[in-house]
Amino acid sequence: MSLALLPSKAIRRSPRPQYLPVLDFLAPSWPSWQPIARKACMATSAPNAPPSSPPPPSANPPSKPLTKEQKDFLDSALRVNQAGELAAVLIYTAQTPPLTRAHPHLRPLMAHMYEQEAGHFAVFNALLAKHRIRPTAMYPVWSVAATALGWGTALMGREAAMACTEAVETEIGGHYNEQVRVLLEWADERRREGAGLGAELEELLGTLRRIRDEELEHLDIAVENDAKEARPYELLTDVIKGGCRAAIWVTERV
Amino acid sequence: MATPTRLTRTLIRSSLRPLSKPITARHYRAHDSPPPAPFTPAESAILSAALSHVPANGFTSTALRLGARDAGYLDASTNLFPRGAFDLVNYHLVTQRLALKDAVQFPAGERIGVGKKVRTLALARLRANEEVGVVGRWGEALALMVQPTLVPASLAELARLADEMWFLAGDTAVDSSWYTKRASLATVYSATEVFMTQDQSAGFKDTERFLDARLEDVMRVGGFLGGVGEWVGYTGHSVVNVLRSKGVRI
Repeated sequence: MSLALLPSKAIRRSPRPQYLPVLDFLAPSWPSWQPIARKACMATSAPNAPPSSPPPPSANPPSKPLTKEQKDFLDSALRVNQAGELAAVLIYTAQTPPLTRAHPHLRPLMAHMYEQEAGHFAVFNALLAKHRIRPTAMYPVWSVAATALGWGTALMGREAAMACTEAVETEIGGHYNEQVRVLLEWADERRREGAGLGAELEELLGTLRRIRDEELEHLDIAVENDAKEARPYELLTDVIKGGCRAAIWVTERV
Repeated sequence: MATPTRLTRTLIRSSLRPLSKPITARHYRAHDSPPPAPFTPAESAILSAALSHVPANGFTSTALRLGARDAGYLDASTNLFPRGAFDLVNYHLVTQRLALKDAVQFPAGERIGVGKKVRTLALARLRANEEVGVVGRWGEALALMVQPTLVPASLAELARLADEMWFLAGDTAVDSSWYTKRASLATVYSATEVFMTQDQSAGFKDTERFLDARLEDVMRVGGFLGGVGEWVGYTGHSVVNVLRSKGVRI
């Protein structure tokens, strides 16, 4: 938990390079999920930065059909993503009224994060419908759980709400990066065989990168808004992170 | 007619693949590569020939054998189909499900409700039983499908059919209604199919009426449940908002 041990001020003041395309290439090869590394990776691409990976040199290399394992991976990955964005939308929806009532200055911030999450949710809804992937059977359960989580943490106060955002976005950001890494591995594999990823997967890769960066931007926002001051910080974030991981595990399966 | 030896060899080669494992609807569909064909050419040849013997011989191993003979294979080649007559039923189900997207074309300009499209699709699928000529023998097929060991395969195929119909009707909802929609359509469709086996009316008018009545039932129940949900949601929101306006910190 290196991030947790760092004083929050150091993080806040750490200089953030505007655009470091090299690090985005490194992201997939990072062996494990070190929060510090993630911070660096996030900083590399601001939401409006140009796509940091250049298109493959050959304009339109032939793509090849996906194997069954690859299809199954995309099937469960996109299902988890949709469920995650559903939860994120509901968490922010439930957090906003109690939070903005106590701290009106947070209103634009909450609206900004909510709008981005709603955008992600729409993206994954469209992808599920397009590729005929079933939504998770736990849909109603996650809806209730996410609303309860958002509302509960907002009642505990601003710091707890931000700690909730931090915990959720840490897990989600890691999850998206995992998927980006898998897609890049596929791309590597295909490049060795002289094939391309195909327009569909290239687009998905771009979408996942953009969404990952936006989720990690929320993580930054939460830390800047005193997420670390929440009491009891460790307990709260660990419980939420554990819940997220369990939910992802279940959603991959049902 | 080709030589039996060569044909047997083709059959053996094609049987190395798990036999007629239907492509599952339940994983990611890539749009830049077409899905693999559900049956090998040899299987298709035998099964489609066998299907033409169903009106006379029913869904039996006799029909399969006659079909194999018609397609120029040995009688023993029916061993390719370990589930026997059920593989014949399955072939009909799979091919008709996949044919549905070409059988029904909705005019692009007009705005037709999803419910109406689903009705058209269900009716088109039922009519296919009549057109292929298996409707008189469909009772036998249903009897095969409800055999305990074959129930999972039959239900899976029914689920795929319901999924195909909602997809072709242009439904893009991906929330919990995804499940309820498919379950209710599958129920309605299978009930109508059972009804159709007993229908003696001209042009299966009674079946059509039966289907309409069942779809209406589903819509009435769905509308009622939707109304209840809306009421609960509205009341809940009102209570929370009233409490907030009274200064309760929630």
